[in-house]
Order: sequence, then C-alpha cells, then structure tokens
Amino acid sequence: MIGIVIVSHSPKVAEGVRELASQMAQGRVKIVAAGGVDDDTIGTNAERIHGALIEADSEDGVLVLLDLGSAVMSTQMAIELLPEDQQKKIVISEAPLVEGAVIAAVEASIGHDMEKVNAAAEAASTMRKLM
Amino acid sequence: MKELEIAIENEAGLHARPASLFVQTASQFDSDIQVSNVTRETAARDAKSAIGVMTLGVAQGHVVRITADGEDAEQAIEALRALIEGHFAQAYEEDEEG
Repeated sequence: MIGIVIVSHSPKVAEGVRELASQMAQGRVKIVAAGGVDDDTIGTNAERIHGALIEADSEDGVLVLLDLGSAVMSTQMAIELLPEDQQKKIVISEAPLVEGAVIAAVEASIGHDMEKVNAAAEAASTMRKLM
Repeated sequence: MKELEIAIENEAGLHARPASLFVQTASQFDSDIQVSNVTRETAARDAKSAIGVMTLGVAQGHVVRITADGEDAEQAIEALRALIEGHFAQAYEEDEEG
C-alpha cells in the first residue's frame, strides 16, 4: 500500500488535510503531514518534507499532495536528499490538495497502485460538487 | 449477474465517509461491480472507484442500482446491502459528523 505525504505552507492545513484523509480511509493508510517552515511559521521546509517522506516510505511508493508555489520546490529538494532508489518511488501529484488527498487516501486504502491512485486523485480537479 | 435496487436512507447520502466505505467494501470482492443513481438517472460507475461513487450525487432518499458480475457476486451484493441497510454505521464510529 502506498504512503501519502501532505505538504502545505500552513502546518494547520497540512495537519487538517491529513486528519480528514485519514478518517476517510479509516486509518488504513500511512499519511504524514509536512506543513510550514516550523509549527508556527507559514512556508515550506525541505527538511520537514524529507522527514515525512521517510516516515511515509513504503515499498509501493509515496504520493505527495501539495498546495502551491514553493511547496513544489521544497518537495523536489526533499526528494533529492533521499537515496536514489527511494527517489524513484516518490510521485508529486498534480491533484488539488484537499479533494485529491481524500480520493487518494480512499483509493490507496483499497490497495490500488501508485499510477491508479494518482490518476484518481488528479481526476478530483474535474469532480463536480454542485449537481 | 446479481442486481439490487435500494434506497439510501442515511442523512449524508453516499458522500464522503459512506462513499469511502462503500468503495472499500466493493473492493473486497473479485466481481465486477457497478453502481448507478436511479433517481438521477446517471450512467453506471465502477463501485471500486472513489471518484466514480462520489460523483453519483447520491443524496438521502435516492435509489441506487448495484450490479455485480462474477463468482462472488452474491456475497458482494449482500455485503453492500448490509452496509446500506446499516446506514454505514461503521463510518461514524469515531464521531457524529458527516
């Protein structure tokens, strides 16, 4: 089963999304939050993300859901800090953070592989809310 | 092929956690399982896809049609029936919110 890392500029957003997605997946999926420069400062921190990638590590890979801007750069830096064989198992998702994390958590909990989980998460960007 | 038409009676419909539980339950079976929202006349979606089930727009009182095709079709239908008739109680064990 893949692991999931949530990267946000806000530690509260990252933790909140982690909490929401975990509950949707009935706690079956390893989901780790990496938000903020530290617990009180808005921003992203490659070292924090690096730690989260290690914590969420799984044989099937780790999917990273992030908000925007420097979250991408910091995540790329965090990935570069990992051993090469581990780097290949990490995928940064294009998915919207909240909806994507929820969908990814559910899909991962069923045991779907990285490609399928990420495709479902990315499809969340076109998911209609008002029907 | 086994088929079930059933009304969704829990307040949240087939959204969020109930949808998640529905997908997880369907995924325990090998059969091909499809679900459609009869009330909204939607096309059938893969019951093992979170995005498929969440976009059916199933609200309280809507009727869904579930079809299962495969060796464990009957067990799959019965498991999903139990989940729906039990109003997805497992999804709410931790708290009372939808």
